[in-house]
Amino acid sequence: MVSLKVLFLAEEKIPVLLKRLSKTSQVFAPVQVSDTVVVFQEFSNGAQVVFDKQASMPPKGVIFPQTEQFLSYTYAKDPENLTRSTVQLDHQVEAKPTLLFGARPCDVQGLAVFDAVFTQGQWQDPSVKARTDATTIVTLLCVKPEGTCFCTSVGGSPTATEGADLALTPVSGGYVAEAITEKGKTMLQDEAFTPAKDKQVKEAERVRAAVKKQDTLPLKQIEQKLIKLFSTEFWEQMSAPCISCGACTYVCPACYCFNITDEPAGMGGERIRTWDSCMFYQYTLEASGHNPRPTKAERYRNRIGHKFSYHPTNYKGQFGCSGCGRCIKACPVSLDIRQVLREATTHG
Amino acid sequence: MANAINAFLPEIGTIIKVIDETPTIKSLQVVLDDQGRMRSFRFEPGQVAQLSIFGAGEATFVINSPPTRVEYLQFSVMKAGEVTERIHQCKEGDLVGVRGPLGNWFPYEDMKGKDIYFIGGGIGMAPLRTLLLFMLDNRKDYGAITLLYGARSPQDLCYQEELKEWEARDDMELILTVDREFPAWDKRVGLVPNVLKELAPSPKGKIAITCGPPIMIRFTLQALAELGYKDEQVITTLERRMKCGIGLCGRCNIGTRYVCVDGPVFSLAQLKKLPPEL
Amino acid sequence: MDHVARSVKEQAVAVLANIKEAITRELEGLAFVIGWEEGYDPLHAAPFFVRSLADIERLIWNPLCVHNLTSYLPKLKGRKVGIICKGCDSRSIVQLLQEGLIKREELVIIGIPCRGVVDMARIKARVDCSQITDVSFTEKAIAIKTPDGRQEIPLDEVLATKCLSCQYPTPLVYDHLAGAAFSAQRPAAALYAEVEEIEKLDLKERLAHWEKELDRCIRCYACRNACPLCVCQDQCAAESRNPHWFSQRTGVNEKVMWQIMHALHLAGRCTDCGECERACPMDIPIQRIRRKLNKEIKELFEYEAGINPEDTPPLYTFKVEEPTIKEKEW
Repeated sequence: MVSLKVLFLAEEKIPVLLKRLSKTSQVFAPVQVSDTVVVFQEFSNGAQVVFDKQASMPPKGVIFPQTEQFLSYTYAKDPENLTRSTVQLDHQVEAKPTLLFGARPCDVQGLAVFDAVFTQGQWQDPSVKARTDATTIVTLLCVKPEGTCFCTSVGGSPTATEGADLALTPVSGGYVAEAITEKGKTMLQDEAFTPAKDKQVKEAERVRAAVKKQDTLPLKQIEQKLIKLFSTEFWEQMSAPCISCGACTYVCPACYCFNITDEPAGMGGERIRTWDSCMFYQYTLEASGHNPRPTKAERYRNRIGHKFSYHPTNYKGQFGCSGCGRCIKACPVSLDIRQVLREATTHG
Repeated sequence: MANAINAFLPEIGTIIKVIDETPTIKSLQVVLDDQGRMRSFRFEPGQVAQLSIFGAGEATFVINSPPTRVEYLQFSVMKAGEVTERIHQCKEGDLVGVRGPLGNWFPYEDMKGKDIYFIGGGIGMAPLRTLLLFMLDNRKDYGAITLLYGARSPQDLCYQEELKEWEARDDMELILTVDREFPAWDKRVGLVPNVLKELAPSPKGKIAITCGPPIMIRFTLQALAELGYKDEQVITTLERRMKCGIGLCGRCNIGTRYVCVDGPVFSLAQLKKLPPEL
Repeated sequence: MDHVARSVKEQAVAVLANIKEAITRELEGLAFVIGWEEGYDPLHAAPFFVRSLADIERLIWNPLCVHNLTSYLPKLKGRKVGIICKGCDSRSIVQLLQEGLIKREELVIIGIPCRGVVDMARIKARVDCSQITDVSFTEKAIAIKTPDGRQEIPLDEVLATKCLSCQYPTPLVYDHLAGAAFSAQRPAAALYAEVEEIEKLDLKERLAHWEKELDRCIRCYACRNACPLCVCQDQCAAESRNPHWFSQRTGVNEKVMWQIMHALHLAGRCTDCGECERACPMDIPIQRIRRKLNKEIKELFEYEAGINPEDTPPLYTFKVEEPTIKEKEW
């Protein structure tokens, strides 16, 4: 890893550090919200931050909130002619300085997908761009991948630091902190960071090198294989247990599909963006009643096709998946995307 | 160009005229409130815009008036769901939002010098009208122009006044058909793809452009293949549920292509490279 | 065939053998048989569609078979399929038959008298489930091995709430019974313990409780889609635009409203299978809301859903004289 500066952050200093940083930034960190669930939330005093467990939800909400207002509108009657109305539109692109603290490399890899889609193309999303620009990312490297992790199969790694400003490696008593960008270097000026001892630096290197290898999926040429594999029968079998909910898409760090709806309230209202899921029947349902993907087999084929073929084709090989395994854990019927990919590569 | 700062923001326009085309289709003529923007609005035939009714939502419609006649923007709207029902309740003077122009357009440059065969069904006539009027306004650039247009019944044919004008012109041919017999209908009877097969226009030097309900497009493409049309000679415009209109929300894709950005105009050659998801 | 004398393990093995034998006989006339197979790790089972005789070997039966497979049936109407079901699942089949949403002659039901299945959220609260290496069952406990060691937990501490008060362990409808039938072994009263805890709160506290729990809801509709009785999921009122009932906003108000709406649509129909809560990726204890309405329905109409195929759910009909509603005397 290319690091600009290396320091140590003691475990017990983290709550104080986050509290201090909350004064100038919106700080998002993984917080325990119930017995079994950790989510990225805005840090508040007394919140129980948890770093040794994968959060149930990825932090994509930091740059891409689940609900966001595009504009608000207000109708008014024209006082000169009551049969006519005027309409006033208001919109704001708001992006406060934000700190995302404790994102795993797979989470950051998901944010790279948002970056590619929303901020680099012919059409850009001004609020995602503004939020991305305003966010500093402190990534927490993985030393204990879960049984459902497969980031190394999709171009990632438990110790990857691309996209982050500061990287933390767990060692005894805390974390070795390494700056990846100038923003990260500036963060290290905070008093919570102390010089790292030699043995701590060595422990960090050892711990990163010792990360257990994950199963590798045979994804070579998957882009082309999926284009050829359009057989309905195959996808009917793969998607048979699926119940067409949106759990997998909402917990995915790289899923970005959204809906736009108007929500009226009297003479005014708002136009909002909300997360949507390609797994829902209504996703492609046209007003005429025609649906190009009426069954879950077609929708599931499109989901896998998008993540492992269409998106990589459009974005220089970038997978629409960071191998975090949340979809496997969140799926009510435990559909395992790894198994589907294995079958896809050996089918036919 | 659509709002350069924020592509999700519509401009406000006023409806200056509502035309009842059929029991389920109305055409709206819209003028942008910003006169400067209206004067400088540029678009190509086949491009679409997202029409907003604030409180109901947005829906995509082809800019139905040709770029050669920009006193107003026309949209032909079939009543189908939440937004289009509210559009149908609009009267002259009502306000709408317009986001556009979006999408790609008919490759009319490549069609110059060729014979053009339009095949339209129902509301599918809307994008064809744009290109037809554009070509009629640039008549010498194109060869023979034929329009085969069908609908479920005589009253479901759009642009009834213009159909009479087009029939009277001697620089284009108009063939109308309805799905079955109707009293006071003395023209052809038959589904558009079947009539096409009866007419059997030769593919030589031709470009076939078709638009209509998905099932009509499917059978028309089949018929054109049977008549010997090569994939590069066949153009169609597709429809999908759309939300963002700028290739970000993900839903209108066919494989790697987004109908809102890489379409709605596609050649059959392009479609055959994509997954068969019509 | 004394079910007490044989060990739990022996019984499970016998049940599985019976299941496999029944399917071997029936498979030819069926599109497929829906059962369970091993999931992505030793702690998870997954629904499995047996399409060929070779598939039969993959079937399993143990307390990890938590899924109510009957959720697939309404969308399969018109095809002849086989289904493996526990006692609680069979109530869903009965309810679907009552409502005409499935046809009895299109089903071959292999019923399993069941002693209980686990609640994954309860296990997750006690065991780090990120790397499971082995799971086994003893007479009364589940033993889970992870890289940190082996933990044995009494089953009763991690069984689903519905199992701890199960009154219908033996399926109410079946073509084959894969094990010896037995009657209810658990106290019925235990079912409403959690509901009663919430009933003790005043209205303001109750709303605060549900706002806190539903704050983490992501409105993924897993609860709706996992429910065997939510057959209108593709045209759900919560997503309907025409008419436009609901805001798509994901604020806590909307999420509370969604849960209430779902529970109301299930009132008198919910068989307490718990799929809604089991499916929730954020482990929100939402079954309590439906169970509360079930409790109300029971008190008001002396009715439980999914018991007798000849019944009509009380909210589908009316009687001029209701036994428990004494309007004139109120």
